[in-house]
Amino acid sequence: MILLVPALALFIVACGGDDDGGGGGDDGGGSSDEPIKIGFLSTCEGAFGAFYEATAGGFNVPLIQRGAEPVSDTPSDGVEGAEIAGRPVEVVGYGCSDETPEVAVNEARRLVEQEGADILVGPLSGDEGIAIANYAKEQPDKTFVNGAAGAQDATLKVQAPNFFRFHTDGAQWSAGVGEYAVEELGWKRAAVIGDDYSFAQTSAGGFIADFCANGGEVVKRIWPSLGETDYSSFIAQIPDNIDGIYTAIGGEGLISFINQYIEQKGPIEPDEMIGNLFVDDPIVLKEIGEEVVGVTVSGNTAADATGPDVEEYLDRLSVYPEVAEAGASVFVYHYYGAMEAVAKAIEQLDGDISDVEKFHETLANMELTGPEAPYGDVRLDENRQAISDNYIKQVVPGEGGKPPTVKTIARVPQVDQQFGGAFTPDTPSPDRKNPECKDYDLPWEGKLEPVDFESGESGE
Amino acid sequence: MNISVRSAPLTRPEKIGLGVIAVVALLAPVIFSNFFLSALLTQAIWLGLVALSLIFLSSYGGMVSLAQVAIFGIAGLVTANLSEAEGGLSVAIDPWLAAIIAILVAVAVALIFGAIASRSEGIYFLMITLAFGVMVYYFFGQVTSLAGHGGVNNVAIPGIVGDRVNDPASFYYVSLAVAAACYFGLRYLGRTPFGLTLQGIRDEPTRMRALGYHVEVHRTLAFGVAGLVAALAGVLFVWWGRRIGPGAVELATVIDVLVVAVIGGLYRLHGAWVGALAFVLLDNYTRRWTPEIGDILGPERFNTLLGLIFLAIVLISPGGLVGAYESLRDRVRAYFAGRRGDVQEDASLAPPAPDGASGAAAGAPADRPNGPVAAQADVTFQRSKTQTATPEIGGEE
Repeated sequence: MILLVPALALFIVACGGDDDGGGGGDDGGGSSDEPIKIGFLSTCEGAFGAFYEATAGGFNVPLIQRGAEPVSDTPSDGVEGAEIAGRPVEVVGYGCSDETPEVAVNEARRLVEQEGADILVGPLSGDEGIAIANYAKEQPDKTFVNGAAGAQDATLKVQAPNFFRFHTDGAQWSAGVGEYAVEELGWKRAAVIGDDYSFAQTSAGGFIADFCANGGEVVKRIWPSLGETDYSSFIAQIPDNIDGIYTAIGGEGLISFINQYIEQKGPIEPDEMIGNLFVDDPIVLKEIGEEVVGVTVSGNTAADATGPDVEEYLDRLSVYPEVAEAGASVFVYHYYGAMEAVAKAIEQLDGDISDVEKFHETLANMELTGPEAPYGDVRLDENRQAISDNYIKQVVPGEGGKPPTVKTIARVPQVDQQFGGAFTPDTPSPDRKNPECKDYDLPWEGKLEPVDFESGESGE
Repeated sequence: MNISVRSAPLTRPEKIGLGVIAVVALLAPVIFSNFFLSALLTQAIWLGLVALSLIFLSSYGGMVSLAQVAIFGIAGLVTANLSEAEGGLSVAIDPWLAAIIAILVAVAVALIFGAIASRSEGIYFLMITLAFGVMVYYFFGQVTSLAGHGGVNNVAIPGIVGDRVNDPASFYYVSLAVAAACYFGLRYLGRTPFGLTLQGIRDEPTRMRALGYHVEVHRTLAFGVAGLVAALAGVLFVWWGRRIGPGAVELATVIDVLVVAVIGGLYRLHGAWVGALAFVLLDNYTRRWTPEIGDILGPERFNTLLGLIFLAIVLISPGGLVGAYESLRDRVRAYFAGRRGDVQEDASLAPPAPDGASGAAAGAPADRPNGPVAAQADVTFQRSKTQTATPEIGGEE
């Protein structure tokens, strides 16, 4: 066999050499010369690959705002000279997953165990988030701050003490929209269609809980696979005798779904469709354009919001013009919030994060306000899950040939993950059949605050 | 120099090389960083095992099966569901018992797959096994009570094995022991009457059938054996990553395993680990090393570089890395040995085997082109493939 293999062995020894210190022996670096190592994890392939640079931009901006220089207009090229509280900060890698938990965990391992990241910011997608939260339990001395993954289980069920999520989850993004459907759109019977995985089921679960709590009935739940390309057989399953459909299809699939829906069912009646945050994501709206004008959506950002905090936030993003255009995209906003929280926590500890427990405690008590969280203050609950505002919005035509945008209708203040007890660590995870459609007791029932940003009536 | 089928003696540098490998493998936990040991070497071991099951079927049975990843996944899925875990059934029985049941289930499924696939040949065989693979993938994704897109997380592992983060050395040794057992077991099997018959069937199914051998039964049993190896890999994989989901058995993984087998060398059992190690190292390090060439290439497009490297390996050496080495070695030998054409003396009794019929891998392929069976005019699909991979003979003009 064999000459080849000693050569390989030598190669391995050579490779093995440069990984020293990446093997988990790092303690977070107590001395002030040692850089704090941060890893970034998002998806650059698969259904959400299009959001990669948006997430990288959101992640870089808090570092740039603290003096780092972007290497180029492409956010994933990285930043130079990053420093927080006088401590140098090194971004050890921009990890790339494909929305499968397998690849996400492999990338996390590479960033944490090989590149020696003390802190990992990411991932993007629901099931990845659950897998990374589980991985966090294997690495108790490292810190994991979720990027944009919105599956409920990642915080409510897994409860890793070193996993933090500074944005609301998929169900929270649906808070209030069920009530809006019943009260304003007059829905009594609805169907739900969504990707067959944890985030979409969390997202739809929030709608179902909110809709049923207000007396609505969900008559059908349809779950095409994530990344499906042909939705025709699923669209055919949508019953006729319903008042409307809630769609929780994300990423590239949504574009195919909308087009095929129109082919099969005719133009979308605005009062008969509600979408989750993917429908009004600025990056997606560019693609599906006019087709969804008038449709109701919900989520924790409001693209039409004005005021000094939003302006300051967009100004910070302006180093990357394309990212700034999509400031209300949850992918930009959530990665920005995650990195901002990390940076603030490091500042509060004067750059010394060698005491990991203290660092975790600081993060757990962190609040994001003002331009750090321009769409609503953020604080964490006991499972290190964000509590923040949610918005009911409507897609409206863009001005002067621009792609459509949204007009915010109402705000649901300070939504918590557990929906006042509808979701607890002991209730079944949102899946194809759960949550049940029954009368939940929601804290925000009947308390939707009307909002009109255009006339400056922000409700604050 | 007398290359015979039974005793192809290792040359001195080869013996030294083997010794170095053995020592490096045994001392790996001391030599390498924890990450290298737990994430790369251990991964190469279980990935190599899956490839081994494919290489076994291909080299001994002439069956390039794309269903091995499915068997691997089934073993992993059963282990994960029977053990304590988040997601799945979480039956929470003892992890060892879970693993044993998983292996039995996987082998049973492999036998069923084998019984169906063994009746077909060539491209149809490829399609049938691919269909099995895709079927299992959709089963994983669709049966949400067992897995679903998110899979099963945080699977409990037996204490002795140790988890890969806190106790990488013991997990590594367990994997190494399993791999060694599989390797030597399969080599032994290749020399048994069963193994020899299988090789006969690989080359001349019609003739073997005429001689009274039950071709389908032998192929099915070979599937079962390969299934056992793949199942062991599946259990190791779940204990290693502590999770499994559809991503573990998707088409990309099937291709990865095929790539591992091909770059290692589809016709040598040890090629599985040569290929796996090369694959894992390239997969990991191309992310750093990929040069920036305009918009065409860059670290974020490491997959492109990876693909180019694999393409180059296969183009330069159809026998993969092992084939490249053997071809090089034979050239060197030929250079030193001059013209000694007495190579095929006692090859007459042996089928043109890769590892099995020869004591060691070395030398065996040299017999193939002129071996008695291969000399027959009837060239089957499988054999024409084996021949592509055959390195040049030492004593050739």
